[in-house]
Amino acid sequence: MRGVRDLLSIFRRAKKKAEIPEARPSDRELFKERYLCFQKLLSGNNAILEIMADMEEKLSGDYIFDISYVRSTCKNMVEKVQNIIQNLDKLSNGKYPGLYDAFKKINSVIEESLTKEAEIPVTDYIIPFEQATKDMVSSVGGKNANLGEIKNRLNLPVPEGFCISAYAFKSFMDHNKLRDKIILSSVDIGDIVGLTEISKEARELIMEAQIPPDLERSITNAYLELSQKVAHRVSALHASIRSSAIHEDAHFTFAGQYATALNVVSESLIAKYKEVIASLFTARAIFYYKSKGFQEEDMAMAVGVVEMIDAQASGVMYSRDPTDAGRYAIIINAVWGLGSYAVEGRVSPNTYVVSRDTDRTILEKSAPVQRVMLKCSYGAGVEEVEVPGERRGQLCLTDNQIKTLAEYALVLEKHYGKPQDIEWALDQNDNLFILQARPLRILAEKAEKPIPTTFPGYKVLIDKGQIACKGVGAGKVYLIAREEDLKNFPEGSVLVAKHTSPKFVTVMNKASAIITDVGSRTGHMASLAREYKVPAILNTEIAMKTLKAGQEITVDAINRNIYEGRIDELIEAGKRENPFKDTPVFEILAMVLKSIVPLNLIYPEDERFRPEFCETFHDITRFAHEMAMGEMFKLSDSPDIRRGEAVKLQVKLPLEIYVIDLGDGVEYGLDKVIIPDNIRSIPMNVLLRTMMALEWPGPPPLNVKGLLTVIAHTTMEPQSQEALWDPSFAVISKEYMNFSIRLGYHLQTIEAYAGDNINDNYIHFLFKGGGASLDRRARRTRLIKEVLEKMDFNVDRTGDVLDARVTKYDRSTIEEKLGTLARLTVFTKQLDMTLFNEAMVDWYIQEFIKKHYTAE
Amino acid sequence: MPEVKKLRELIIPLTDYPHMPHWATLEEAMVLLNFAYETGHDTVLVFDEFYKLMGVLNQREILRGVQPKFVEISLEGVPVEREDLMTTANPGQLKKPIRDFMFPFDIIVDIEDHILKVADLMLQHNISLLPVTESGKVIGVVRMHDIFHEITGFIIKSKK
Repeated sequence: MRGVRDLLSIFRRAKKKAEIPEARPSDRELFKERYLCFQKLLSGNNAILEIMADMEEKLSGDYIFDISYVRSTCKNMVEKVQNIIQNLDKLSNGKYPGLYDAFKKINSVIEESLTKEAEIPVTDYIIPFEQATKDMVSSVGGKNANLGEIKNRLNLPVPEGFCISAYAFKSFMDHNKLRDKIILSSVDIGDIVGLTEISKEARELIMEAQIPPDLERSITNAYLELSQKVAHRVSALHASIRSSAIHEDAHFTFAGQYATALNVVSESLIAKYKEVIASLFTARAIFYYKSKGFQEEDMAMAVGVVEMIDAQASGVMYSRDPTDAGRYAIIINAVWGLGSYAVEGRVSPNTYVVSRDTDRTILEKSAPVQRVMLKCSYGAGVEEVEVPGERRGQLCLTDNQIKTLAEYALVLEKHYGKPQDIEWALDQNDNLFILQARPLRILAEKAEKPIPTTFPGYKVLIDKGQIACKGVGAGKVYLIAREEDLKNFPEGSVLVAKHTSPKFVTVMNKASAIITDVGSRTGHMASLAREYKVPAILNTEIAMKTLKAGQEITVDAINRNIYEGRIDELIEAGKRENPFKDTPVFEILAMVLKSIVPLNLIYPEDERFRPEFCETFHDITRFAHEMAMGEMFKLSDSPDIRRGEAVKLQVKLPLEIYVIDLGDGVEYGLDKVIIPDNIRSIPMNVLLRTMMALEWPGPPPLNVKGLLTVIAHTTMEPQSQEALWDPSFAVISKEYMNFSIRLGYHLQTIEAYAGDNINDNYIHFLFKGGGASLDRRARRTRLIKEVLEKMDFNVDRTGDVLDARVTKYDRSTIEEKLGTLARLTVFTKQLDMTLFNEAMVDWYIQEFIKKHYTAE
Repeated sequence: MPEVKKLRELIIPLTDYPHMPHWATLEEAMVLLNFAYETGHDTVLVFDEFYKLMGVLNQREILRGVQPKFVEISLEGVPVEREDLMTTANPGQLKKPIRDFMFPFDIIVDIEDHILKVADLMLQHNISLLPVTESGKVIGVVRMHDIFHEITGFIIKSKK
């Protein structure tokens, strides 16, 4: 009700007697400037809603994006929000300083989320495997941490070795100032050429860079210690140098992204170390990093220096069948020689299937002929050699070895709590080693089937509109004709409405889908639907007409189809897992969106619709948009307006109209006088043309004087007759109109925006007063209210005051509604006098609809 | 000694009485009196746009407005089915403004006038309804029905 009270004060002021307008160009300039602020605010509002929609769509998991997307988008949005606040500030003469505080508060939360950095812990350069556990991922990397865990906590056999820590990597980068030279944020992940270039550059920089002397010493010493440790087994230590990136294996399988150097001797140790860390920057790895949402600072690599196992056989083992998670089996692949050939699929491996039961029954064994294998060269490196004849076609492992490996697989799976993907090797002395273990990707779970679009036997009711939130929902149609209908919204129903409203949020936890005739994916409600993950199709144009209350339907807001009946197959297919859900960038995006998207300021009439209750950027923009419209609405009633440079409009209407042009609203001819043909304002034109085409209720002009002399008895106070001759003011631009009309004894303001973006468009109509008794005036407002509601206006009525709005319709619909509003204005002129009782009101409503209004 | 009621106690306030601007159509007036049937009000006060009283329109004028066609026809001696005419008669007339049908009215009583003066004016001009003004402003109407009841009631009581 606060709104209505405010508006009433306009009328009180408007009662003052009209002054003769005189030229004061500076005032007009002032209006123009304010209007410019309003327009900037509108376009800022739209831009923000667009950005929000885009960010929310990214959360659906259908897009690849990186942290620089999140950063630049946030930066863009922050600028837009600031602009909006500044424009409202100018428009309202600094009425809402609280918005700056709200902005500061929200922005600092966003900043914090964006700058959260993964710290590389300060450790020794070297960490022996004996000290590594899975809790040390951020210092030794995923692979090393796992090997340490397996060695130290599970006591399974792993090769001896040590880790070169992430801190060592950081020291190396810092020592050479490489962080300043390699700027990954500058390249877009879609730009393959750019990625390749930056990758090449980065790797060259690393290969040319100096290892800090103390680090080099530490590595050499550790290597020396390791060779002494294994001296009892091997005369000269050969090692494999393995990548162990910080985020590898922890949540994500960077499988095969990085380099491994096999059979390395001490002389080339440092060079190979650099080679391995350089592989952090292969184009493929950079793409993977960025697309999984890691930040540049997260890119760090520890390295494992591991005793090289000169394997007679090696392979890969899965603790479950990755293509069939339900199968109760362990799968082991084995090849002769080093394991790379098994991993890379270069040769056909032995395959063993082992039951997971207590006996570890071997269910299958196959041994295809393997002709070549990889082995350690005599000096260093590896080479491909022929598989010795007696081994070809033979099983690589004995049953016992198979069962031992199967045992290891189950121990590992139990320890890590999920199926494992394990690399193993069998040395020349028949010792089994675990080389690596990581979570197994179960493929069957991830296979995403496209959602079918034809369902024989089910009728497609609607196949158009705009998808605002992807998904599939089904339920009974519940039609929302007016706001009150929301109160009884049945759980699980499909909300169907003429237009969108942020007020629908109150039932979003109950709605299984939302369909509207009008609306856009960048509207407030669309944003809320995405927040609540309610599948939504907007702008279908025909939903209210086509769908029947209580009718069971299935809404496919992925392919944009609405079916009659409930299609369980479709609902099932619509359940989609977001593959990126756990990535860091996704988490950051989700976190910043919490400060951007949720809408807390829903009802403008609410006491909490104030700057200090703005908790998100969405709140700020909605608040600013509402207040800006309020400021504009008051413009035609501003005390300055009568002093503004108003020009009289020569028009054949029983109205005295003065026009103030805010820009492109009027095309001036040679004369200073303007006629309707000079009006360029879209809304004003519709209004004028419609009013001029109508027959106005009232006396034939010539007779007026004669009639006046008939009888001098009146029902009115003498002074109120003057009100009849008050001029009407129209403040207009090309798209905008704020027309304050004095018509007989009532006052009305029609404000409208009719542009190309439906988010900007609205009509605000205010009506008050009349010459008859209060009860008759109230009856007239009821008449108007009911007609407006048929026209889908949102109407607030108190006694004889009526406040009606309609928002977010396309331009032609706004024009159509303005036309009807013009007809209604003429139709109801002094009609209050006639409204003897409520039955009379009903009769006039029917008359108006019959004559002037046909629903679209 | 019983006292006779003041005119103020006998009037029907304007808010409760049918009235219309003069540009309202005959059809609207017809509809209005139909909806007002239960109240017993049978007349429409006609005002101009400044709420100045111009005249009255009663059932007689309205009937005359909707009737002419079939009256004319029957006067020419052509036999007509009157029931058919009920649904088709005179759409043109219905759209005409009531100022074309009302009769101008310049007999008015003031709220301070005595009811005997009201009765006298009614007899003199052969009318059963009079507008009542206060400080020059129309505030309601008074009907012969109520004046009759008050005066005769007073006489009966006085006889006892």
